[in-house]
Amino acid sequence: MAMHFIFSDKVVLLFDFWSVHSPAGIALSALVVLLLAVLYEGIKVGKAKLLHQVLVSLPTSISQQVIAETDWDSAGSDPPPVSRTHRRWYLCHFGQSLIHVIQVVIGYFIMLAVMSYNTWIFLGVVLGSALGYYLAYPLLRMV
Amino acid sequence: MNVNTCLEFLKPLFLPQTEFERHIKRIHQHLPLHTHPTSYSATPPPATGVTPMTFYFGFKNVELLFSGLVINTAGEMAGAFVAVFLLAMFYEGLKIARESLLRKSQVSIRYNSMPVPGPNGTILMETHKTVGQQMLSFPHLLQTVLHIIQVVISYFLMLIFMTYNGYLCIAVAAGAGMGYFLFSWKKAVVVDITEHCH
Repeated sequence: MAMHFIFSDKVVLLFDFWSVHSPAGIALSALVVLLLAVLYEGIKVGKAKLLHQVLVSLPTSISQQVIAETDWDSAGSDPPPVSRTHRRWYLCHFGQSLIHVIQVVIGYFIMLAVMSYNTWIFLGVVLGSALGYYLAYPLLRMV
Repeated sequence: MNVNTCLEFLKPLFLPQTEFERHIKRIHQHLPLHTHPTSYSATPPPATGVTPMTFYFGFKNVELLFSGLVINTAGEMAGAFVAVFLLAMFYEGLKIARESLLRKSQVSIRYNSMPVPGPNGTILMETHKTVGQQMLSFPHLLQTVLHIIQVVISYFLMLIFMTYNGYLCIAVAAGAGMGYFLFSWKKAVVVDITEHCH
């Protein structure tokens, strides 16, 4: 395995079927990796915004009741108007966990792509991260 | 040392025909030998050389992080799956714990907080976060130690993912998801109560 950056048209990325052996192939692979990096940055911002939206949409009394229940470990059943919001909260959190798994997997895939030590792929990752950050992070400031 | 052990493993395939070779050939006339390694064979197919560069599912001769830690059976792979799963869960928990510790250590500095009347008649706390902790204070030293542990575990998880073993990669991803699900739930609830107007 080469342990230095090389300019090459031939590389095998991540899976057995993704083998590149032409300039067009490496350009397409660099584009795919670029889009993957943009998606990664977007998911990071999207997860933060989703959490912010969920916290804002939940009424404060409900969240305080959730805190009270977790602190006092009450064994009583939930009052009917609250259980619906609890289920919505659990669904939202489950969805966020799935998004977190996707973020972890994409992050590791990008790391493995860079590990191929192909300079074109590395440039694709760097440009994709820059583009993704440029496009996504202003959305974080907007309330 | 590991390259040598792997070459020892492959040597019978390349040496000239011995009695052992003829014996193996007789056995493999009944079983098809995988000469072309696919992604789903039981043995790790080296793409170029010894270290795999594409994803595969297998549990034979899988090195894991340290030189003595080699997985050879399905039972060992199951144990490694559970261990990696727990390590990824612990990593997520450590991240959340560090965040909450940081917030708690900054609460003591949050003395300059004043109640402000909110829109619905509720009382909101307007907090002025001052500079962080001192350098030699215990919370900061604890944060540093936890940071070192977090960095080491994150590199271990990266190296585990770098084995390209499908089972171990799934264990890392699932452990991260489960850890986020279990630990960030508490954190999200806590964030709501402490940071009311962010």
